[in-house]
Amino acid sequence: MRDLIIPGKVIKRELIILIVSFVAAVLLNIYSIIKYKTAWGELFSQLHVVVAVTLIIYLLVILFRLLISPIFRLLTHKRGK
Amino acid sequence: MDIQSKNRREFIKELGFLAGSATLLASVPWVKTFAQENGKAVSPSDRVRVGVIGVGDRGRALLLNLKEIENVEIIAVCDDYEPNYQRAIELTGGKAKAFHDYRGMLEMKDLDAVVVATPLHLHAHITVDFLRAGVHVLCEKSMARTIEDCKWMADAAQETGKILQIGHQRLFNPVYLNALERVKAGEIGEVLQVRAYWHRNANWRRAVPSPELERKINWRLYNEYSAGLMSELGSHQIQVANWFIGKVPVRVMGSGSICYWKDGREVYDQVAVIYDYDNGAKCLYDSFISNKHYGLEEQIQGDKGTIEPEVNRIYSENPPKAPGIRQLIHSIEKGIWETIPIGGATWVPETAVPYRGNIIAPYDNNDTLLQMIGFIKAVRNGKPFPGLLREGYHASIASLLGLQAMDTGQIVDWPAEYVMEA
Repeated sequence: MRDLIIPGKVIKRELIILIVSFVAAVLLNIYSIIKYKTAWGELFSQLHVVVAVTLIIYLLVILFRLLISPIFRLLTHKRGK
Repeated sequence: MDIQSKNRREFIKELGFLAGSATLLASVPWVKTFAQENGKAVSPSDRVRVGVIGVGDRGRALLLNLKEIENVEIIAVCDDYEPNYQRAIELTGGKAKAFHDYRGMLEMKDLDAVVVATPLHLHAHITVDFLRAGVHVLCEKSMARTIEDCKWMADAAQETGKILQIGHQRLFNPVYLNALERVKAGEIGEVLQVRAYWHRNANWRRAVPSPELERKINWRLYNEYSAGLMSELGSHQIQVANWFIGKVPVRVMGSGSICYWKDGREVYDQVAVIYDYDNGAKCLYDSFISNKHYGLEEQIQGDKGTIEPEVNRIYSENPPKAPGIRQLIHSIEKGIWETIPIGGATWVPETAVPYRGNIIAPYDNNDTLLQMIGFIKAVRNGKPFPGLLREGYHASIASLLGLQAMDTGQIVDWPAEYVMEA
């Protein structure tokens, strides 16, 4: 069986996307606390929801990347010609 | 640790809050006496000798609970139905003196108390005979078949000074007592309505070995012996309604029918009654035995909240808001999935908002056992718990007046002479 090698660059890129997703989820939590006038303690008490939202955002980003990658590849292929 | 002290300690622990609640103590004065710990173990000289009359299903349960209590000796049993008679002997290991007729038990000199769990129509004269013989009585609910008999029993208890306790175990149930404390503290506002129901899906019949035993075994189905659903189920819940509203109803209206089980029975299989209280509060009660989807409950409704003691929940009229992020997610979901109705209702349906409320009190106790322990303690003290008979008496009168309203098709006023003063 062939070893699968994930380059450090890819890992770094995915980690950055995950961190950005987490920050976006935290910002959403802050926005909802302000919008619905709830307690600031929810910054910590709702961390489990924030983590879940992070994963959803990350999955949405993956989905988006999968959708645009054929277009992206097509464009770079044409430019190469 | 023996079961009695374990349950008493748990009970006292659960009711520790009572110490500071003078308002509540006025509503449940028996709890204070019950909860008083003197720190002493029960001495052998405090042995209570009990007889059990009627050892059918309920009588058997009461007998088994009595056996769990420290220093209680079941010295006599009585049942005129042979299989129950034999079972009673078996349950007491042959140690108790067995009778087919309770009058034999009346002759016993060393009897401190009896538990009466016979069919309803027999409660009154058995209870009165024992009270007059100087024996304390715990009588299963409901008190009696007629309101006159209920009064006769209550008068006999007052004349003799002996204990007459009616088997309403919810009066000792920590969930109900906690709930009452929260009502008295104003947590659900003013109690304006109690909506109570008990639904089953069963014919309420017992197997009869031979036809001549039909009325004896299925006594609940015949008017001569029973007030049907009102006495067997309703009295429990109407007691709760009176207790939480803190009043005796002034009048009752109702309707009953044999709607589904048309099998020769005489009692209604479907009843619905409304009790009016002098402050305008109401108790709406219904019971029927051809659908069990909603089971049983007493929904105690105030302007600030609702209590459902059977499921141990309390609900606020203004429940705490969901966390902000959940509200945001819900709002996004709604934006994505909600459809715009075309030609549908032009108003927002007022269906109940799903909301689980909060637990009233952690509780996994046996309230029938607590009730029996309470009775034995009262017997040891030689005096009744204040206020306890009044609850059982009013519940019985209320359920019988409800039946009277159904039978006559008229609104029935509560007769002034049937109000027991506090």
